[in-house]
Amino acid sequence: MSSPLLPRPTNKGVPVKRTRSAVLAWTPVLALSLAACSGGDSGGSTGADGGFEPRGDVTMVVPFGAGGGSDLAGRATGTMIEAANEDLTVSVENREGGSGAVGYSYFLGESGNENLLLATETALLALPISGEVEFDYTDFTPIMKLADDFTLMIVNADSPYQTCADVVEAAKSERITAGISGITGLDNIVFTLTEQETGAEFDRVPFESGGELTAALLGGQIDIASLNPGEIIGQLESGDVRALCAFSEERYDYEALADIPTAAEQGIDVSFAQFRGVLAPGGISEEARQYWIDTMEAAVETEEYQTYIEDNYLQPNTASGDEFVEYLEGNNELLQQVIGE
Amino acid sequence: MLDNLVLGFSTALSLENILWCFVGVFMGTVIGVLPGLGSTTGVAVLMPLTLGLEPVTGLIMLAGIYYGSQYGGTITSVLISTPGEAATVVTTLDGYQMARQGRAGAALAISAIGSFVAAIISLALLVTLAPPFAAFALDFGPPEMLAVMVLGLATIISFAGDNRRLGLLMALVGLLIATVGVDVGSGTSRFTFDSIYLLSGIPFVEVMIGLFAVGEVLNQIREGAAAPIRAGFRELMIKPADLKRSGGPILRGSFLGFLFGILPGAGSTLASFMAYGIERRVSKRGSEFGTGAIEGVAAPEAANNAAANANFVPTLTLGIPGGATTAVLLGAFMIYGIDPGPLLFEQQPALVWGLLASFFIGNLILLVLNLPLAPVFAQMLRVPYGYMYPLILLTSLVGAYSIGNSMYSVWVVVIFGIIGYFMKRLDLPMAPLVLGVVLGPLFEKALVQTSAIGDGNVGIVFTRPLALVVLAIAALQIVAPTLLAHILRRRRTRDGGPAGPSAAGPTAGDPDAPRPEFPAVAGNTATGGDTAAPGATTGPRTAADTSTSEETRGRP
Repeated sequence: MSSPLLPRPTNKGVPVKRTRSAVLAWTPVLALSLAACSGGDSGGSTGADGGFEPRGDVTMVVPFGAGGGSDLAGRATGTMIEAANEDLTVSVENREGGSGAVGYSYFLGESGNENLLLATETALLALPISGEVEFDYTDFTPIMKLADDFTLMIVNADSPYQTCADVVEAAKSERITAGISGITGLDNIVFTLTEQETGAEFDRVPFESGGELTAALLGGQIDIASLNPGEIIGQLESGDVRALCAFSEERYDYEALADIPTAAEQGIDVSFAQFRGVLAPGGISEEARQYWIDTMEAAVETEEYQTYIEDNYLQPNTASGDEFVEYLEGNNELLQQVIGE
Repeated sequence: MLDNLVLGFSTALSLENILWCFVGVFMGTVIGVLPGLGSTTGVAVLMPLTLGLEPVTGLIMLAGIYYGSQYGGTITSVLISTPGEAATVVTTLDGYQMARQGRAGAALAISAIGSFVAAIISLALLVTLAPPFAAFALDFGPPEMLAVMVLGLATIISFAGDNRRLGLLMALVGLLIATVGVDVGSGTSRFTFDSIYLLSGIPFVEVMIGLFAVGEVLNQIREGAAAPIRAGFRELMIKPADLKRSGGPILRGSFLGFLFGILPGAGSTLASFMAYGIERRVSKRGSEFGTGAIEGVAAPEAANNAAANANFVPTLTLGIPGGATTAVLLGAFMIYGIDPGPLLFEQQPALVWGLLASFFIGNLILLVLNLPLAPVFAQMLRVPYGYMYPLILLTSLVGAYSIGNSMYSVWVVVIFGIIGYFMKRLDLPMAPLVLGVVLGPLFEKALVQTSAIGDGNVGIVFTRPLALVVLAIAALQIVAPTLLAHILRRRRTRDGGPAGPSAAGPTAGDPDAPRPEFPAVAGNTATGGDTAAPGATTGPRTAADTSTSEETRGRP
């Protein structure tokens, strides 16, 4: 699975400034030159009373590009942390590449850095299963699960299907094309679970983002897609597409989504969510771990957290510390079965 | 419609919004000047700055950054042959040659003017016809996109000049480079040699910086620095003749850019390449292209700006990003708590129309800011090129590092810098390679998707009328030069034509005739003698033009 040849993403020979203040981020040219000059500072100190306090600014690593779901989550988490603890300044750093592999691998090389956090999601589990990376979730310190993001089965408004059961039934006798956003994408996982549950088969057409899938649905290129509510809410409200069912345990409370039945209600017992959460690097002190857990527990009580959840139509299912680890274990097993062949 | 525009302008014309628009344009230009930092990075990096503003003000500023950073990329393309993003690669071909002839000021000015005209045309189209265009764009599914990619690859023919075989070979190398990384269909990783960095492929921005900026510096070091360009201030100004020559290219570039821009994906890049290719075909000075023809700057600059605006068609009407930068902008919408989608125009009229109006204002600011500044920027070339080496290398490497905060990007730049150096030494054309790298992943994606939709049969592309039309245009691209050559030759003989060997020579467009090599792409440091030769073959007027620049260059 992992090879000794794989380069460890350390910043050998290149001192990287790990604490970039928000002010500096405003003037990127300056920040860049400073980043190149100042030495590494893993931050963190143990106060006189034995309690941990991060030293200087905190960096939130986002293993995906700016503007995407992970980026939104990372920036929102930073805002929440700042709201919960006025002494902290969180700056976001995008390290994209390899569907998250670059960012997580960088994080792996930052083991012991107590000033660093990472905005995590299902790629944390999916990447190791796909076998291209040398980390798995046990290499990191899970701090907090922030939310669940379920998906809806979406069809074009003109589609003949009214329920997910219709689609499954049709798929048994005719060809149904399902757009997916990648082999390890949440949508592919949901479709695979549905196939395993019902015996139906969908023909996959690979795309690269929710936006592309939406375009393909609107243009009638594919029959079905499975999208996060936040990705498709605009087209749902305008009536250009319809949601047939939600792959969630319960119906959504959000007014715009409350009428969408769950897949289980239609006889398809499938529910799977992408999680959003916060990781710290491996090898940090117990004090630092506890500090971050406490900080995040305070952060999810803030108004900023509520705003983030509601703006993105997420489910506020949180789990901190050991509970998060437990969740990851269970989720990992399930994913192994679905995409680990 | 008119009410909406009035609403938009009344929103956008508040002092605060104009101020932030200006700040955005200015900061964007500064960012765009750094190699590697194109509009996508510019918008992403500066987004946090806008979060404290009102949504409409923040978006107006981001739009300003978008335009500004695009123009910043043009400045470096012209002055130091370093494209800021893929869409300005083509600008380096003639822009840099113009700069070496002391006409950087004119090149920058025509870019500013071309961009402005394109912006106004495309905005008018955007404001009046966005919904039907958006619907049209939706008809472009994978099979149609596959046809578009074939069309894109066909333009390579017009880039390769006489050296078609070399051009095609380089395009193939580009496509090959593009196969590195995780395959979109099956998730299998190819040629990654267990490196996580190679999983997402070889990034083309870094490839571009390496090939063009670093490669050029290395080549200059070997050849000895070119003499600093001592053009007088008057030579730096754009001449009426330049404007006259550029009118057609700008108009054609604008419409072409808009058309490609509404298609999601590589809109701007493809548009700029196509615009250049077409101008090279239709222009009377086709053979001058690559040696500093102002049409070769005007057309692609107009095209990529029009495409940038057209990217907003699917973004605003459907909530689907038209390109990388608009994807980041959509992220900003979400952060402001606005759900982008088909209802945006209805639900947020002040915001949408304010934003659209600010596009007009932003482009005006850009023009007013840069037209007088163009000669000033061009003065930079008075600095002996030798002193510029460290600056170019430093900004290239720092720019590369800042793309992904990673040394990997720096290594890609260094390696492709060395490759670029050897390509220049061997006179291999670079533009087809870049086009191959850019189109490769898109071509493959369209191919995989088409095959998946057709249940394994790519042939469905021939059952789609739109795709057939596009394929026919592609075929025409390939056949047209020979056809055109025949017609031209016949007309020339009938009219008697300008006497001498020049008429039957390279301009006739006979594909097998020894066309002037593409100096900008291959041997970049074309000296006076080399550039004068192809220019002189086209006829008396162009010969005169070339000699003017000749004087400029020679002036102490």
